[in-house]
Amino acid sequence: MAIRVNPTFIDELDRFGAEDVQLCYQCGDCSTVCPHADDVYKFPRKSMRSLQMGLEQKIETTLEPWLCYYCGQCSTQCPREADPGETMMSLRRWLISRYDFTGIARKFFKSRLTEVLAIVIVALFTGAFLVYYGLSGGSIDIYDGEGAFLPSQFIHRFDLSIGSILLIFLLANAIHMWYLVMVKGTNFFVPWWLYIKEFFQLPWHFFTQKRYSECEKKQEHPVFMPWIIHLGLMLGYVTMLVLVMVFIEQLQSGPDIRWSVHIFGYLATIGLVTGTLYFIRSRLKKSYVQYKKSHGTDWVFVVLLFIIVLTGILQHIFHRTGLNELANITYVVHLMGVVPWLLRMPFSKWSHLIYRPLAMYFAEIRREALTRQEEIIQSVPVLIK
Amino acid sequence: MRTGVFFCHTDESRNLNIDAIAKYSANLPEVETVQILRLKPLPQVKFISEQIKSNNLERIVLAGDMPGYFKPVFTKAVALTGGNTDEIRLASFQEHGAKGENAMDRAKAIVACATMGIPFPLAAVPGGNPVNHATLIIGAGIAGIQAALEIANAGKQVYLVEQSGTIGGHMAMFDKTFPTLDCAACILTPKMVSVGQHEMIRLLTRSKLVAVSGKPGAYRVKVRQKARFVDVKSCVACNICAEVCPVKVKSEFDAGISLRKAIYIPFPQAVPNAYLVDETKCTYILSEGQKCGVCMKKCPKECINLNETDKIIDIEVGNIILATGYELLDVSKIEQYGYGIFPNVLTSLEFERITNASGTTGGRIVTKTLVTNKKTGKEEWIFSPEGIPPGSVAIIHCVGSRNKKYNPYCSRVCCMYSLKFAHLIKEKVPNVNVYEFYIDMRAFGKGYEEFAERIKQEGTFVVRGHSASVAMKDEHMVVRGEDIFNDRLVEFNVDMVVLAVGLVPSQGTEEISRMLGVQRDSDGWFSELDYNGSPTDTDKGGIYVAGMCQAPKDIPDTVAQASAVAAGVLGSFTSGKGIGHMSSLSLSEIESRAKKIHAF
Amino acid sequence: MCGTNIAKIVDVEAVAKYVSGIPDVVLAKTYKYMCSNPGQEMIIQDIKEHHLNRIVVAACSPNMHERTFRNALRSAGLNQYLFEMANIREQCSWVHKDPEEATEKAKALVYAAICRVTFHEELESMSVNMCPNVLVVGGGIAGMTAALELADAGNNVHLVEKNNHLGGNLARVDLTAPYLYSARDLLTEKITRIMNHKQVHVYFESKLSELTGFIGNFKATIQMLNGKPGKINNPVEVEIGNVIVCTGFKEFDASRIVHYGYGKLPNVITSFELEKMIRTGRIETRDGKIPKYVAIIHCVGSRSQEFHTYCSRVCCMTALKYAHEIKSANPESYISDIYIDMHAFGKGHEDFYLRSSEAKTLFLMYEKGDRPVIHKASPKDNCEMLIEVNEKLSGELIEIPADLVILMVGMEAREDSHEIARIVNISQDKDGWFIESHPKLEPVATTTDGIFIAGTCVAPKDIPDSVAQARAAAARILARISKGKIEVDALYSEVLDDKCSGCRFCNQLCPYSAIVFDEEKKHSYIISALCKGCGVCVAACPSAAIRGRHFTDQQVLAQVDGLFCENG
Repeated sequence: MAIRVNPTFIDELDRFGAEDVQLCYQCGDCSTVCPHADDVYKFPRKSMRSLQMGLEQKIETTLEPWLCYYCGQCSTQCPREADPGETMMSLRRWLISRYDFTGIARKFFKSRLTEVLAIVIVALFTGAFLVYYGLSGGSIDIYDGEGAFLPSQFIHRFDLSIGSILLIFLLANAIHMWYLVMVKGTNFFVPWWLYIKEFFQLPWHFFTQKRYSECEKKQEHPVFMPWIIHLGLMLGYVTMLVLVMVFIEQLQSGPDIRWSVHIFGYLATIGLVTGTLYFIRSRLKKSYVQYKKSHGTDWVFVVLLFIIVLTGILQHIFHRTGLNELANITYVVHLMGVVPWLLRMPFSKWSHLIYRPLAMYFAEIRREALTRQEEIIQSVPVLIK
Repeated sequence: MRTGVFFCHTDESRNLNIDAIAKYSANLPEVETVQILRLKPLPQVKFISEQIKSNNLERIVLAGDMPGYFKPVFTKAVALTGGNTDEIRLASFQEHGAKGENAMDRAKAIVACATMGIPFPLAAVPGGNPVNHATLIIGAGIAGIQAALEIANAGKQVYLVEQSGTIGGHMAMFDKTFPTLDCAACILTPKMVSVGQHEMIRLLTRSKLVAVSGKPGAYRVKVRQKARFVDVKSCVACNICAEVCPVKVKSEFDAGISLRKAIYIPFPQAVPNAYLVDETKCTYILSEGQKCGVCMKKCPKECINLNETDKIIDIEVGNIILATGYELLDVSKIEQYGYGIFPNVLTSLEFERITNASGTTGGRIVTKTLVTNKKTGKEEWIFSPEGIPPGSVAIIHCVGSRNKKYNPYCSRVCCMYSLKFAHLIKEKVPNVNVYEFYIDMRAFGKGYEEFAERIKQEGTFVVRGHSASVAMKDEHMVVRGEDIFNDRLVEFNVDMVVLAVGLVPSQGTEEISRMLGVQRDSDGWFSELDYNGSPTDTDKGGIYVAGMCQAPKDIPDTVAQASAVAAGVLGSFTSGKGIGHMSSLSLSEIESRAKKIHAF
Repeated sequence: MCGTNIAKIVDVEAVAKYVSGIPDVVLAKTYKYMCSNPGQEMIIQDIKEHHLNRIVVAACSPNMHERTFRNALRSAGLNQYLFEMANIREQCSWVHKDPEEATEKAKALVYAAICRVTFHEELESMSVNMCPNVLVVGGGIAGMTAALELADAGNNVHLVEKNNHLGGNLARVDLTAPYLYSARDLLTEKITRIMNHKQVHVYFESKLSELTGFIGNFKATIQMLNGKPGKINNPVEVEIGNVIVCTGFKEFDASRIVHYGYGKLPNVITSFELEKMIRTGRIETRDGKIPKYVAIIHCVGSRSQEFHTYCSRVCCMTALKYAHEIKSANPESYISDIYIDMHAFGKGHEDFYLRSSEAKTLFLMYEKGDRPVIHKASPKDNCEMLIEVNEKLSGELIEIPADLVILMVGMEAREDSHEIARIVNISQDKDGWFIESHPKLEPVATTTDGIFIAGTCVAPKDIPDSVAQARAAAARILARISKGKIEVDALYSEVLDDKCSGCRFCNQLCPYSAIVFDEEKKHSYIISALCKGCGVCVAACPSAAIRGRHFTDQQVLAQVDGLFCENG
């Protein structure tokens, strides 16, 4: 059965950032230089091709976009400056919106205004709610303990509720992803035990992002830097998430510093600060290929994160130096950032935190399943990692 | 006729003041409205039809670099408003060369002609002046040779100026020519011979243009002829001088893959068939006669004089033909192919030389062998007839061509000569694997498609997909590529890589264009007067372009162009008029001529 | 030995050694490129030193180099016909594998040549006047360019055009690729100049019906095509020196390819039909709708085994041109361009290709021979047609929505081209294109002296290349005209009066009608300038009264004997 070509699709992807994809004349240079392309997962060329031809059903079931860490080699090599790297990036954006069943992500990616608006509204609501609660329950100049403006137990509950919402969305999307990739996308048999056999992939890639470091060998600049920083940022973020979700009470109590908990907080903060600063700087300077083009969402992402981190640090300092009033205010502001941030997560770039490792996991399962069926042509020497 | 003039996009490099032109055209007779359109958003049918209706226009003039891009939308609008679609006229600044010093006047004239509905070339015909029957041809490749013979055979004097020591150009270096596979030497050397013997051709080798003055039909040209240090008439090419000469240099004719002496003959069939001295290398000359000079003593015919000095020759000619040809892009600046790092990565020209019977390997296709240089004691890779033939060869198309970073254009000949290489390798090396990496197989000429098919039949592995890298993996050269048709990434171990390197204008081009005031296009090739109408004339009267120097092209097309140029030259003789420079035409002249034709 | 062309199979040294043993042979030498300057110098030297009076060169085909060596003889002061060439390349080294046998054959060939050359006689070639008038057949861009080139140089040109207007196929085109210049302006300029030129005589709705005579002195009969009633229809006869044939091409008949349903599906049109649409500003489907999806199919009739194997050279750029034009007229329509290889080879072509990519044209690649198939679409597809094709770059079997399909029909030789070929006596290749005398170095000359070919009647080519060829042809003629005279080969037949019985067999047989019957002397004689020395009459003459110069029985038999006595 012939697949229907959809010439209008590129117009849609244009909104997600793939502007130059039609410039590609399919020479295949990009796939040749890509450190991650192998004989099962051939990209970026093939992905670009599917995109040019608007083969939606194909694209939504592919994993390739997630296997790309955007080292930028392909874009530097491209003879027609069709920017394959950016295309893969936009495909990731599109996939996120595709996995998201609510359709919110789609809106966010397509118009920066809606996104910002949504964030502001949620922020204001949170602010209003917190201020109301604070004033009703405690007094502004008490930070912790009796009659605190925002008592930690309450925050704990608050966080957990937010967190659970977040979790529900993420899980739902992840399952949708699994359906598209592993059910709809596989025309071959996948034995169940492969899921168990390959399970280690999940934490492994989640915590190491090893593949990112593999970009190194083909880099115009030492990828080591971005990799470490990205890793730091990610780990920092996760640690902070855990702290906030579980150890919020120890975290908030003070003014003396509880090193057993706070040490993690500090480490995480370092990771977050360096990360956000580095990425903001790179995007401003457009230093490397991968930062040349910045989609609206990318900016919202880094800026919002930066605000959160900053206010977080400030309130910590204020509290320790006894400026409880200020501490409380910044705390509110902080949460005004955090809440939309967390709620936005499943619909934003940040969700690749989950999707990437999942993709790696699925990718390996698929590969195994495929090799078991010996679907790879062996007639000529081929690259198999 | 009620006319509306619309200005479309023009390139900044033309430095045209569109507003000024618009103002000018507003005052032209019958012009009702003048509009300057922006590139984005593109003109909409609605807007245009409104324009037409409100000024009830009968004729529309589109002015700009390539106004054709906008024509269809205007045609549509005219059709909708029930107008006559034939009355849409194009005023293309690029087509009629509104560029350089008198760009503004030219542009105005172009618009003026269009508003009157008269083709610009019809109105813009520069006046003629008496012609000197001698002709100067710069560059003695196949184009120069062909043009020279055409003109000389008509019994007219020709001065053939060539930079190197012999005529023949690149074609003399080739082995076989596609698609007929007859040997280049077999078809070229007779022509070279007849040039050498022709009584109407004065051959000036080792010569360069230094100054040009005068006007079309009567140019005064200064040519500097570098000393050859060998008397062409008495030299019998006995090679004794070369035997005794101590200095070894890379041979230009052999694309640098073999060595020649400081006194040498480019190749045995060179015309003129005499030795010459490379003054930049000869010990005697460099030491101002202090050292060496053995060749002078040893020469049996005493025809070597290392104290000879350069000559300045003044020539008076009526027409000048540019046939300066091309050279290869410097491929070492495209690192990923490892040219200059891996010994057996060759350029197309180098390969031509090893596969050529008169080349250093006597036509045997072999890989380089490692030898220790006796003098320096250093180890170096060289070609020798005893070398081992390659077990597998990769040929990579479009190296530096069709690439925004290097040559945005297609070099037109690479596909075919690469296929030719594949054939030669298959023919000369038993059970060898040949891989061709290509993007589009451009086999467009007479018999080319059939040739391409034949090569595929011969078992050459043709890979649709461009290879971007040549790497070293445990003692083996490895070419990576994507075999798109078979949907796989491939990695071949090869012993030799041939790069189908793109073509660029030869070094002198820029200088000559400055000297003669001939325009060049953005890629550096000489620009013709009119892409379709007169592809071999230039903006300057009595100056023509032929062959590669106008744009890459294969031998038949080059020859056709060279002959075409001769038509212009011979025509000017018989009609007695040499057409003047375009720039000599003033705006008012063109206007008045156009008016005349218009009235007529 | 022609590089390795000969030496790689034939042991030339051995041949030389063997030859030098033969009586009457003074010396035998070998050289890498005998045709080259030093090679010829060597021959000249030897002739002078050893006072040689017969020369045999064993090398490539005489077609290639006989003239070269004859010149060498001449410059050595020897009559050029005292020379014979043994072809040990085409007839030996290129066609044989086994070196020993090949070498033996080479020896035989050379020996035969030696036997023949001993009987060669000194012949003198003569020269005839060159009439400055020129006949140009075909009034397309090539024909007009050639005509103007010649007329501007002050010669009379007779331009024969079968239509009632000039311009040929180009007159059907609106804009030219790759710069989208106006084809119309290009033509108007040429046509106006031709019509106002005193020295160009244009014959509309006419054809060349007969051509007699020989280079420099042709007589051409131009006949009105009788189509219009009430038109007096008397042929005109003109005296001319040379002929340029620029009869152009005809487009491929798309209905021959069933896959495309041309003629059945209403919205499948050819490139020329689209041109008309663009011209009139109405790029619409048959029922007047703006097509949302437009598909362009390349290589219709070109690059295929069943129809034409060759590439038509201009279609790719034309297709891109259409992509731009349609996009300009209907910005909302999506264009898919279905091609085999994108031939964007010329000046400005690649950039043009890039521009159409920037205009978001979707390029789809199919394989030679694996043609797309066009179906009528069902109502729910919300498009007119679906094109099914194996897309090579994605490896998918796909279907492309289309409301309007444009077939890029290739070029083919005109059906009347064989007639012209017969009249002016030139040959055609398997595709019907006229054959040039050398594909590389003589792209416009033909094997018949004084007949030139230019433009798309030689092979498909774009405007600049056609124009260049037309001018090249003009150049050749101008060169000859300015010389005034032209030399004809001394190889012609002559009648031995005393033997001729006057049976007149030969008169009818002669393909060049060079034999006339002398009434009072009662025997035939041959007009040497017309005779091409084909030898038909020689063979036919019952009383062996005709003798072909340089092909006398004696010479030919000697050669044959030589060949066999040695091989046996």
